[in-house]
Amino acid sequence: GTQIKDVVIKPDAPNTLLLDKHADYIAAYGSKKDDYEYTLSEYLRMSGIYWGLTVMDLMGQLHRMNREEIIDFIKSCQHDCGGFSASIGHDPHLLYTLSAVQILTLYDNVKAIDVDKVVDYVRGLQQEDGSFAGDKWGEIDTRFSFCAVATLALLGRLDAVDVDKAVEFVLSCMNFDGGFGCRPGSESHAGQIYCCTGFLSVTGQLHQVNADLLGWWLCERQLPSGGLNGRPEKLPDVCYSWWVLAALKIIGRIHWIDKAKLRTFILSCQDEETGGFADRPGDMVDPFHTLFGVAGLSLLGDEQIKPVNPVFCMPEDVLQRIGLQPDLLKTVEQTQLISQYLHLESVIYSV
Amino acid sequence: MAESEEEVDVLVQRVVKDITNAFKRNPNIDEIGLIPCPEARYNRSPIVLVENKLGVESWCVKFLLPYVHNKLLLYRQRKQWLDREVLVDITCTLLLLNPDFTTAWNVRKELLQCGVLNPEKDLYLGKLALTKYPKSPETWIHRRWVLQMLQKECSPAGSGQKEQQGQVEPQGEAERSWHTERLQRVLQEEMRVCADAAGRYPSNYNAWSHRIWVLQHMAKGNLKILHDELSSTRLWVSMHVSDHSGFHYRQFLLKSLLGELGQSWERLQSGALNLSPLPLADALQVHRSNGDGTAGAADDHASAVPQLFHEEMELCTDLIESYPGHETLWCHRRHVFYLWHHWRKNSQGTGPQSPVLTHTAALLSEASDPHNEGRSSQAMDVDCVPDSSKHGGYTQNTKRLKRGPVPPCPGLPSEHLFVSRILSSCRSPEQGRFANAYRKWLDSVIGQ
Ligand SMILES: [Zn+2]
Repeated sequence: GTQIKDVVIKPDAPNTLLLDKHADYIAAYGSKKDDYEYTLSEYLRMSGIYWGLTVMDLMGQLHRMNREEIIDFIKSCQHDCGGFSASIGHDPHLLYTLSAVQILTLYDNVKAIDVDKVVDYVRGLQQEDGSFAGDKWGEIDTRFSFCAVATLALLGRLDAVDVDKAVEFVLSCMNFDGGFGCRPGSESHAGQIYCCTGFLSVTGQLHQVNADLLGWWLCERQLPSGGLNGRPEKLPDVCYSWWVLAALKIIGRIHWIDKAKLRTFILSCQDEETGGFADRPGDMVDPFHTLFGVAGLSLLGDEQIKPVNPVFCMPEDVLQRIGLQPDLLKTVEQTQLISQYLHLESVIYSV
Repeated sequence: MAESEEEVDVLVQRVVKDITNAFKRNPNIDEIGLIPCPEARYNRSPIVLVENKLGVESWCVKFLLPYVHNKLLLYRQRKQWLDREVLVDITCTLLLLNPDFTTAWNVRKELLQCGVLNPEKDLYLGKLALTKYPKSPETWIHRRWVLQMLQKECSPAGSGQKEQQGQVEPQGEAERSWHTERLQRVLQEEMRVCADAAGRYPSNYNAWSHRIWVLQHMAKGNLKILHDELSSTRLWVSMHVSDHSGFHYRQFLLKSLLGELGQSWERLQSGALNLSPLPLADALQVHRSNGDGTAGAADDHASAVPQLFHEEMELCTDLIESYPGHETLWCHRRHVFYLWHHWRKNSQGTGPQSPVLTHTAALLSEASDPHNEGRSSQAMDVDCVPDSSKHGGYTQNTKRLKRGPVPPCPGLPSEHLFVSRILSSCRSPEQGRFANAYRKWLDSVIGQ
């Protein structure tokens, strides 16, 4: 036989949540920037800031970040077209437009920017078939459909685009396994599934998902270590654990996985020395996996962390403040079949 | 090494030049890499060319990258003017070091639009970047843009400005065929780039979904290419049994072939051609002799689909038995069986009624209860399913049957039997888990 692709969690791996360490790690992250490291990741700076601020807010530590500096930075990244770039001098893109709007929403300060122009930018990227291009160069991806409607929903302007057409396109990317890919015909992928279920939640179309079938596929992402992978035979990863878990939450099937084991896996990805989470136990930490580790624990019900919204990956209290409550499917008890299946799994894993 | 700003300036300009010159010296460079080397060696360039491999010594990257990065951003903010040739050189250096720097690719798009760069040359840079960063999303995204641009250039509308003036030119035909050949070369090179990147990183989502995009945009409805792709990836997936993306690609090919074959079937049906169905054996003969896939006769289509599925399920069975415990193979089985199941359901009554289908349908109705293994195995004995106690019996049997006229196409009973056989003989707990999950999937998704 072949060894199953998974990790082994060492007995001395962290098993408690080291919140203070994580807050210190994120607070210090920007300050020790080395020229080389900084340039390597500058192309996604805006999203990096969103990851850092969101995880700080979830931990109740947002006040430690430099609000004025960040808002000035965001303002200087808005272009004439209305879109935002990842950093100053870079080209605008939907990905960073969403991050910018998310950050300003966290800070309750969307009025700092020209909102109408953002709406125009997003509207201008919608194609005839309902899909969205990521920027003016025209790349199409269901991720961008999510970015578009999430941005507009946060701004309360979802009516600015043709939602029906947009839904039609996303549904055309649904696969036989209930999952979604980046374009019609593409392989199902946990990250894309998160975007597409999030999209359908924002647009109120979750009833179009085959939730049992998709729930099944998502459950199959859980490995014996408890961690979740993003596709069959890939290694478990903290970020994929979030995407799968959030999608399960959105379609009302979060109780279909073994939550305790997932929690153990996520906790074991912490670095006790430096703070922060890595993708897998023992790897290098980064702000991206730190956000998704903490957000995942929040979805699993950890009470030391603020409740997170599975669609926007932002604190629930922030969304409540702006009166945004995206749909979630009602929790459905396990069908006979799924429980048999899961039972079978636990029997085999315990061998 | 506390270099002054000026020293860095000189150093970087020299290195960028060295990279440009390396490409001039050897236009066949096929791979890039970083050479671990913490210290500079006196009077030696950090750019090393060995055969067709271009290496950059790691010590210089920490000077090189921030410098060219900032230079490009100053240009982007219109704070510094750069010549086009310089832009070509620094974006090249930048993207070889950091291929996800979107804005640098965008600068190259503008250079392509104004004709400073040629598309093939730019695709070549991306190909090199992918040798070191085979997933790089921005590199794949840029390629799609370049390919679309190239396609526009080569399309009749793109080159039709002269024709609009009403001149009938003698070179019109030659130019068209030149465009066609150019696109074919690009398409083939693109498939090679995808295959190479797939080999460098397992389950490379970006590489395989790009390959799907290429088929969808550059080979729409081309049965020959679909067939070629199906046969050229067969060996590859057999050697990469964990590569879910590679198997998904085959699922995509099968589904596309179904669609295309179905369409040409309908065209044939609605056209003046009204061939009476040949006996199945003859039809299979047609299929075999037309092995290149350029199916031309209605009966060929009728048998081509069951034949395709038979071959894919057989491949899947062989792989599951040879490599137990691979989730990917079981996922593949689900998808292929699903496609087959639905095709058969939809084609009954409307599509080509081949004897194969009738045969299988009769068999299915005989063994309608999938849980009754005794009954179904009895029923299947008539068709193709072997004595399950003999290891490898299935394969031998199907091989024998392959020579015969009727390809044994899978149905629910034969799939249940397959699961039972795997479970009774398997010693791998993972294999057992996947087989059980497959059985449950058959019950709940197909059996509904
Ligand atoms: Zn990750």
